[in-house]
Amino acid sequence: MRRCLDVASSAAVVSILAVTAAAQAPTYKAARLAGTDRPNLHGLWQALTEANWDIQAHAAQPGPPQFGALYAEPAGPGIVEGNEIPYQPWAMAKKKENFEKRLTRVNTDGVRLEPLDPEAKCYLPGVPRANYMPFPFEIIQGDKKILVAYEFASASRLITLDKAEPAPVESYMGWSNGQWDGDTLVVDVTGLNDKTWFDRAGNFHSDALHVVERWTPAGPDVLQYEATIEDPKVFTRPWKMSFPLYRRLDRNAQFLEFKCVPFSEELVYGHLRKQTGK
Amino acid sequence: MLMRILVCAVAFLVVMPVGAQTHSQAQSWRTPWGDPDLQGSWSNATTTPLERPAKYAGREFLTKQEQAAQNTVTAVATDKRDERGTPDDVNGAYNGFWWERGWSDGRTSLIYDPPDGRIPAMTSEGKKRQGQARRSQNEAYRGAGPYNGPEDLELYTRCVVRAALPRVPTGYDNNYEIVQTPGSVAILQEQIHETRIIALDGRPHLDSGVRQWLGDSRGHWEGNTLVVETTNFGDQVTFEGSTPNMRLVERWTRMADDRIDYRFTVEDPATWTRPWSAAIAWTKTGNLYEYACHEDNYGLYGILAGSRAQEKEPGSK
Repeated sequence: MRRCLDVASSAAVVSILAVTAAAQAPTYKAARLAGTDRPNLHGLWQALTEANWDIQAHAAQPGPPQFGALYAEPAGPGIVEGNEIPYQPWAMAKKKENFEKRLTRVNTDGVRLEPLDPEAKCYLPGVPRANYMPFPFEIIQGDKKILVAYEFASASRLITLDKAEPAPVESYMGWSNGQWDGDTLVVDVTGLNDKTWFDRAGNFHSDALHVVERWTPAGPDVLQYEATIEDPKVFTRPWKMSFPLYRRLDRNAQFLEFKCVPFSEELVYGHLRKQTGK
Repeated sequence: MLMRILVCAVAFLVVMPVGAQTHSQAQSWRTPWGDPDLQGSWSNATTTPLERPAKYAGREFLTKQEQAAQNTVTAVATDKRDERGTPDDVNGAYNGFWWERGWSDGRTSLIYDPPDGRIPAMTSEGKKRQGQARRSQNEAYRGAGPYNGPEDLELYTRCVVRAALPRVPTGYDNNYEIVQTPGSVAILQEQIHETRIIALDGRPHLDSGVRQWLGDSRGHWEGNTLVVETTNFGDQVTFEGSTPNMRLVERWTRMADDRIDYRFTVEDPATWTRPWSAAIAWTKTGNLYEYACHEDNYGLYGILAGSRAQEKEPGSK
């Protein structure tokens, strides 16, 4: 009997602890990757935010007038924690300049100037942006490495799990070293170049960008994503963004191609076409 | 240097028949969830040609001497050095080292069916189509032009895709990463950073109206072999003259810690008079790196800008 009471009281302690833990952190316990003790992140995921337009809170904006409402910008609450991006003063000016020069322009001498927006040119989107573009991506979780394949521009990342290696060279998608912190996949991303933006609003970074991502299962069909952004050349302090990722549940959902290079060629090379009929 | 390369070449193994894999070996290449384990970084580089050269007609294998001679040619081309200070030392050496052609696998061709090691005869429809494609694309690629816009260049020059499926070895960057998870296999192709995601759950192919550069792949396990069928190819990419209705079946079988036996069979009655098959060893390699291609594609920019500049020269059309 005494033994039964012990069991009962320890059960009570356990349940109190569980309740306390619930108040602090999500209690969701994800299904395991079969044969391992790791949560299974495999699936086709997509963010449901307007952050690709602007990662900060913003009101709706008109699009090119010839398209009516088609390409107008939807309003969004933003994904930046506290909504402030701590730019150094010069960098705030640069962000505004990026936005103004995002598309092809012709200067007063009639000279064509390069469009700056890397998404418009179908460049590899970089990290963290690839995770909140309005396209699905698939996480293929092996036991030794995790591959994240993005539809946009056929971008891809390999995340090491068994060993942390320094970035061998800078690249658009960076070099990703992963490790587990409980049920959270923590990915340290370095080796990112300075040619990608955070959004269409011109928010940018330098090649000193360091991103630490945290991917946490929050339900069978939800991953909570958080990224800490550090770049001492551009920002005055590290800052964070966070948003949920949702599993694509639509019937027949599957990873499809969005090879946008041909779509971008008119923007990138149109001025180099042979002009006919002149 | 040359000796070191040749020692590596001799260590390269002849593709073994699938049946040579032992039961206990196969058991050790298992994922934690019990599937055969193909994961890792692999290269399909080899100098063994897709089709059997005429001089080896009737023979499936090279002699040891022939294989060594072929590997010497490869080694010299990759490390094209001569006496220091001579033009030949500089001419070529700077641009030869990055080739990654692999070595002869000891066979005279990658194609093993039909037994003559050659792509089977084309149908008359296939011949006609290929003739047109050669005129419009290959000549432009070889420098004939005209380059009125990006569409006049090869898909690879435009950084759209490196090549059609199935992938056969090329001069460099023949690298692939396989990552598996229960129900899916992913194959990342270093060129041009695309991922083939192959569902193993028996779901039907995409609607036939949905066409993709790399088609639509479905797979299943047959014993220790991953069998993948790919359909739904688009009409802008072709494999040796195929139509978008080509049916591709590929097989990957782990043969050793550092080797996969890869085979493909292609079938396209509108192109070839019979199906045909090839075998290519995938050998373990190092990390894959990002092959950003379209970003700042100065080559294509220069070709188009150069063509426009030429047109402005006196006497040009």
